Amino acid sequence: MSMQISSILLKVKAISFKLKSAISTIPLKSVIIFFILQLAVLSVAFVVFGVLPVHREVKSISNFLESKPLQDKQELTKSNSELVRKILGSEHHEAFLKSNILLSKSDSISLLIDLKDSLAILTFKGVSLFETKITSISFNKGLKKLPLFLLDSLYSGPFVATEEISSIEKFPIVIKKAPKDTLEANLLNAAPILPRQSDVFYLFAFENSMTVEIVQQEKNIVGSRSSFRNYKKAKSKWIRNRNLNFLVKADQKGYTYQLSIKIPREDARSIYRALPIKPVVVVRY
Amino acid sequence: METNIESLPKSGKTNRTKRAIVFLLSFSFTLALVSFCFLNSEVFKEVAMSFYSYPDHDGGLVEKDSIQLTKQFVSTQKKVVILQKKIESLAPSNPYLIINTTNNTFVLRTRKGIIREGFCSTGSYTLLDAGDSLQWIFKTPKGMFRVQGKLVDPLWVKPDWAFIEEGLPVPPKNHPDRYEYGTLGDYALSLGHGYLIHGTLYQRFLGLPVTHGCVRLGDDDLKEVYNKLVEGSRVYIY
Repeated sequence: MSMQISSILLKVKAISFKLKSAISTIPLKSVIIFFILQLAVLSVAFVVFGVLPVHREVKSISNFLESKPLQDKQELTKSNSELVRKILGSEHHEAFLKSNILLSKSDSISLLIDLKDSLAILTFKGVSLFETKITSISFNKGLKKLPLFLLDSLYSGPFVATEEISSIEKFPIVIKKAPKDTLEANLLNAAPILPRQSDVFYLFAFENSMTVEIVQQEKNIVGSRSSFRNYKKAKSKWIRNRNLNFLVKADQKGYTYQLSIKIPREDARSIYRALPIKPVVVVRY
Repeated sequence: METNIESLPKSGKTNRTKRAIVFLLSFSFTLALVSFCFLNSEVFKEVAMSFYSYPDHDGGLVEKDSIQLTKQFVSTQKKVVILQKKIESLAPSNPYLIINTTNNTFVLRTRKGIIREGFCSTGSYTLLDAGDSLQWIFKTPKGMFRVQGKLVDPLWVKPDWAFIEEGLPVPPKNHPDRYEYGTLGDYALSLGHGYLIHGTLYQRFLGLPVTHGCVRLGDDDLKEVYNKLVEGSRVYIY
């Protein structure tokens, strides 16, 4: 055993020596060229992975904007500008309420996210079943930059989730074998079998390249970290696949609008378990 | 990279090995850099997005003067109030019950406010496997239900699973062993398909998912729910 270790150590020593001597003989000019090349690679990567998807998205939004009547900002006085802002806010509220009425005709529980009042609401047939306070809201730059007028028409909803990633199960089923006799039954039924409680993180993705992520506000992770890690892995994989698809398919959108909210863990669990598999979500900004 | 390799002295096997090592290292570094960039595309996109902006769009409102704008604002506000009232009217006018099967809580309320709230017990999501394709899943159904009947001193007619779960032989239908008084508490409200809102002997389990699909309430809560809900009252379970 010790012979094997010493031989491995010797090999490592030999390789490191070769590496050291190889690197030490590289002329400075080559080192500079190497770094310039790496910088060029980094720039190309920034264009391909960053600028290209964003540019395509901005172009499509700009085309949409061009189809709407234009305005000249300079003509507006301060008070009129304030009025316009109020009207747009009010119209957005109206659209949100109309969506709520529209959803009352469906047979599914829906999720309303009211960012203005910081509320996440479960609604069924127009009746508010559950409300919880949103403790933190974050958008990515794409959503932040969109004017309210566009948020309303493009990223407010109602949307049906096409994909979802979650750290918890929808149905926490516990399997129990039937006891053979009363003795075994007494042992089995002594204490109720409760489903394992874990941390709550989930994400809904929609067809319009938007995602809504709901994250537990508690920082402490309960139980094992495995569910949290699995969620993170699944989310990264989903993002990777999207980015890869963008590079391969010409019609694929490369930019994802991300909205993330934090709510208490148990409330987040209640919302996730109450919603159907592909839930409908409406957002009020 | 080529310059890098070319510039190395070509003197025998050692130099070739050195060049190969340097080339391999440089190539691996470049590959790692590309992979790193791909994995962090979202950061790149956010940086790229900061270079773009959209003009403010007022949806054609700019052409209007302050009087027209004020009128439009008042009109939209009115519409909002009308819609809010319409949504409020969607909630039942009579008392109704909302049950949360995840937190095992209930709220008895009217349009105006909460009458009573507290803990309940709902389906355990246990799958009882008795072999020979005999399986039961104990979950509380979700959706909107109506109270179909109200019972005082309800009698529990024990189904097959109740015997199997206790490790007892299943008696034939209408066998006296199937009838049990007192287990369901003082009152029961039927939601249809055999699902009931009833009382419990296991008050310590309130707040936990332990039932076979029915909703269990504590004695005082059950009395209030029984008194407030009438036949046809709505029960929302989520």
